[in-house]
Amino acid sequence: MSTDHNSEMKRRKFLQNGAKGAAVVGLGAAAGFAVSRLPGRSRSPESQDREKLGDEFTYDISKYQKTDPSLIAYRQAGRIETGFKLPRAIAIGPEGKLFVAGDRGVRSFDKNGRRLTEFKPSGLPLCLSITSDSVYVGLKSHVEIYDAEGVLKSAWDRLGSEAVLKSIAVVEGAVFAADAGRRIVVRFDSDGKVVRHIGKKDPSRDIPGFVVPSPYFCLRIAPDGRLRVANPGRHQIETYTFDGELEHAWGKPSMAIDGFCGCCNPVSFAMQPDGQYITAEKGLTRVKTCDADGVFQKVVAGPEHFPDATKTCAADALTDCTRAGLDVAVAEDGRVFVLDIIGRDIRIMEKKG
Amino acid sequence: MPNEKKPDPTRREFVSSGARGLGLLTLGSMGGYLSGRSQAEETVWQIDAEKCIRCGKCATECVLEESAVKCVHNFDMCGYCKLCTGYFEPEPNALNTGAENQLCPTGAIKRKFVEDPYFQYSIEESLCVGCAKCIEGCTRFGNGSLFLQVRHDRCVNCNDCSIARSCPSQAIERVPADQPYKLKGKGEG
Repeated sequence: MSTDHNSEMKRRKFLQNGAKGAAVVGLGAAAGFAVSRLPGRSRSPESQDREKLGDEFTYDISKYQKTDPSLIAYRQAGRIETGFKLPRAIAIGPEGKLFVAGDRGVRSFDKNGRRLTEFKPSGLPLCLSITSDSVYVGLKSHVEIYDAEGVLKSAWDRLGSEAVLKSIAVVEGAVFAADAGRRIVVRFDSDGKVVRHIGKKDPSRDIPGFVVPSPYFCLRIAPDGRLRVANPGRHQIETYTFDGELEHAWGKPSMAIDGFCGCCNPVSFAMQPDGQYITAEKGLTRVKTCDADGVFQKVVAGPEHFPDATKTCAADALTDCTRAGLDVAVAEDGRVFVLDIIGRDIRIMEKKG
Repeated sequence: MPNEKKPDPTRREFVSSGARGLGLLTLGSMGGYLSGRSQAEETVWQIDAEKCIRCGKCATECVLEESAVKCVHNFDMCGYCKLCTGYFEPEPNALNTGAENQLCPTGAIKRKFVEDPYFQYSIEESLCVGCAKCIEGCTRFGNGSLFLQVRHDRCVNCNDCSIARSCPSQAIERVPADQPYKLKGKGEG
């Protein structure tokens, strides 16, 4: 009995001492952990007094974001919601029908903005051109042709993995596509066979080559029967014959209203019947008119008209301005249709007065 | 016997118990401290460039005299533009390396001709203060190839980063130490 009682006493004492020891170790561990999680170094009172960065660290383009009202010659007459999450291109067809490429489809609207039809090409539609009886859709590396109801008529061969078709224009017997991936204009015959490449750098012919830093590369057929191609990295619009001879170029880099801003503009342009240009820029999101020689005339819409696009590029946005471009088209009656990619809508601009 | 009063411990017993207790406490403290630090060192601070709004606080809020945040350049995304809006003032006098034309207040961006009309732009880290002015220009008009990152050969990995505390867009976060950079474009890691 006495032996059992002694054993019991020893076991109890062992357990008590063990518990005390574990408590002390635990307390120490908790204290050590807490110390390890202290904030660490902090700024000294002297450094906290350091002023914010001086004015030389401020990027200020506010004066370019306001348009002189006397230069604005157009007013917004209407607005059409595309319904796309990511619209990409706009074109005008017969009877003033609007065609918009976006997401994975192409939608048509009447001139009052009422949605008519929609069809889905085989891939992401990047650009459009409309003829009297066909819709030419430029996808990444090939062209598909649909009738006005969206029935596929033809799909051309692919141009290779590097091709990115960003603009397309159609004339009798020829189709021209601006390939931003290879920085070249591809001329096809009416059956889709590649006839030639236009605009490749060639010093012997004084062709400087296209510079396409961002995914905007626009071309149009001008009323004079020549090709007009934007060279955004050189801030120019260039005139080519259908055989690829460079005849003329105009444009200059400038944040001011009479130039093309930023590193690469214009992102899009349209041609009026009298040869005047309607140009669109990103960064300072604006649409302007220039005469047939490229001299600035008036403003269609300034950065104030595109607050979402301006915000997209600005300090309080979460992306960069490659996603905030515009596309433009001109109707026969002179109205300008501006596709706002960030706003996901079409602005209908009419001349004032 | 149960009701007998326990004798007072001797000095030797008292010192011996105290030393044992202190030893246990120290052992526990060291274990707790090392556990806490090892957790912290499994992660580091890094900027998510998609959230950064280029406010300039990275240059002023770091505990270090010279901020651990620097501008970095993803060349894959760069257009190598002759008129780089991250390099040049909005309306430069000329497209050359004259100081009056440069956007960076500390001259930290170097411009090198490649072939017409392409130029390469690289950051001299020792001159960069992390103010993000170049990133503002690049993002507003260009491809957004310039962005800020915490440089881990400079950062002291504070438990509570003072830049993170003041960042208005919560762009600074803890990331695994084995993936310490959040790169834009194809170089994401």
